[in-house]
Amino acid sequence: MSFLELQDITKSYGTLNAVSDVTLSVEKGEFVSLLGPSGCGKTTTLQMIAGFVEPTSGTIRLDGRDITHAKANSRGLGIVFQSYALFPHMTVFDNVCFGLEMQRVPKGERRPRVEEALELVHLAAYAGRYPRELSGGQRQRVALARAIVIRPPVLLLDEPLSNLDAKLREAMQFELRDIQRKVGTTTVMVTHDQAEAFSISDRVVVMESGRITQIDQPYRIYEHPETEFISRFVGKTNLLPGTVQAVNDRAATVSLGGVPVEIDAGALVRGDTVTLCIRPEKLRLTGSGLGRLPGRVAERYFLGSQWLYHIDGPLGTLMAVTPNDGSAPLDTGEPVGLDWTPSVVRVHRGRLAEAPDPTLEAH
Amino acid sequence: MTRNGPIALIFHSLVVLFMLAPLAIVCLVAFTPENTLSLPTRGLSLRWFEAVFRHPDFVQSFWNSLWLALLSATLAVVLAVPAALAITRWEFRGRGFLNALFLSPLIIPHLVLGVAMLRLFALVGATGSFGWLVAAHIVIVTPYVMRLLIAAITGFDRSVEQAAYSLGASEATVFRRVTLPMILPGVTGGWLIAFINSFDELTMSIFITSPSTVTLPVRMYMYATESIDPMMAAVSAIIVGITAVAVLLLDRVYGLDRILVGQH
Repeated sequence: MSFLELQDITKSYGTLNAVSDVTLSVEKGEFVSLLGPSGCGKTTTLQMIAGFVEPTSGTIRLDGRDITHAKANSRGLGIVFQSYALFPHMTVFDNVCFGLEMQRVPKGERRPRVEEALELVHLAAYAGRYPRELSGGQRQRVALARAIVIRPPVLLLDEPLSNLDAKLREAMQFELRDIQRKVGTTTVMVTHDQAEAFSISDRVVVMESGRITQIDQPYRIYEHPETEFISRFVGKTNLLPGTVQAVNDRAATVSLGGVPVEIDAGALVRGDTVTLCIRPEKLRLTGSGLGRLPGRVAERYFLGSQWLYHIDGPLGTLMAVTPNDGSAPLDTGEPVGLDWTPSVVRVHRGRLAEAPDPTLEAH
Repeated sequence: MTRNGPIALIFHSLVVLFMLAPLAIVCLVAFTPENTLSLPTRGLSLRWFEAVFRHPDFVQSFWNSLWLALLSATLAVVLAVPAALAITRWEFRGRGFLNALFLSPLIIPHLVLGVAMLRLFALVGATGSFGWLVAAHIVIVTPYVMRLLIAAITGFDRSVEQAAYSLGASEATVFRRVTLPMILPGVTGGWLIAFINSFDELTMSIFITSPSTVTLPVRMYMYATESIDPMMAAVSAIIVGITAVAVLLLDRVYGLDRILVGQH
């Protein structure tokens, strides 16, 4: 039986559904991320778990107990806010101690517990400082210490790293995961940053316009996106609209604007409208005249560990990523061949509303 | 910190001089031995300060004004804190009306308010009551408190309160331990400005004070209509002195820029 359970949670504001029929179970000790673009309902979902927003319908259960209508201050959850929300008029020590005081922890126990929490986030030396005297990363840690010191059954993180600069964000990601592992607290994080969600979560919940569209392990979401939206939102991708031309036992041939491409059969029938989805790093660049498709380097971008190429060909412009192995990159205008293994091609039924411009997908 | 250029420096000095010169003159005149307001003077004397304390009605009026200002400023704050919180945070019917109502005394001339209050006091049989005088002063000082509080609450990050709730605090505890301390600069600043305004108020008070509740400004006005001598300057100097000490103390304890500018 799962530890935190959301069942058919809906939140409507007038006629608008901010969250629709969200059902999610989180196991004890699990780290789950709600991932989606802004306005997808992920923050509202978190606020309903926290008790700041009341669901219009549905139930939330924590450890078997129905907490749907419980007050926020009786749930005992630890929350880290995007703005950190530290008490500006209290020292770091008092910030962290506040929750223990509210939980009526005996006085003698408070100091060691605060110190333990500050130790965990490497801020033991800063107990006497005020939040305004700390850097963004340090404030973030205080917020985390304040949330975990009360030993909450569930830790809720609302875009916890989005106010940090890129370098610090990456370091904090790993630290966050490390701390979560140490204390073993069930964690739900809201983020719009897929790299953040993928690197530290056990499972990722993708949300789109108030609904959950996929729940899976990070690599499965990346490799097997269930909707075209996910394949576009998660990472970069080449989306190619086409029609199934022929099907046999093992393979199907899809015509992409007259160019035949062979894929694994699946449950397709002749005449189906499909969209093929190939990740840029799954495309191999071969010598001119080899591979499945001819092409020409239109543009190249140096990403440090990788090269991102835009390749013009019969299917339009495709993105291809190759690792930077130290050898000289291809020049723009150079003719190449494109090759891939049929099993890496994902197939979505239906056609795109409009063919996406790969240059827009690059971000 | 940017440095002023020479022209800006001259301009700023002139502004400060223009604002402070009358105060300086009044304070200087208070120390003259002459029987009339005159500068330059023959020497220094404390005779007019002595004269103030030989006028028990002035001493009585000083205490009247002090109590009036303390009470009306404090009660205005007690009234304005929940009102400002409600107006800034919640959408409800009559919100705009309530906001306008609280600020309206600012745009009504004190003369008009004085006449209206006089009539009201006569109607309810409260002429000469100190309690009703306090009520009238609350009306005129509340807008200042409201303005400062609304400014303090508008920039308030609600998630700080949510954090406190989530840690198990009750609504009353959140208000006492988090909300109030965070808007304290607005509260203190509002109280200070309310205090000064009440202590200073003349126009309305002329109409509604009785012989037993005459405030210091009204007493000074009545005295000055009969005779102008340096005793007025001495009273003024005392008021200036008290205000300056209060403001300096507040600055030492709390920091004026935090109160009036609202920095943390």
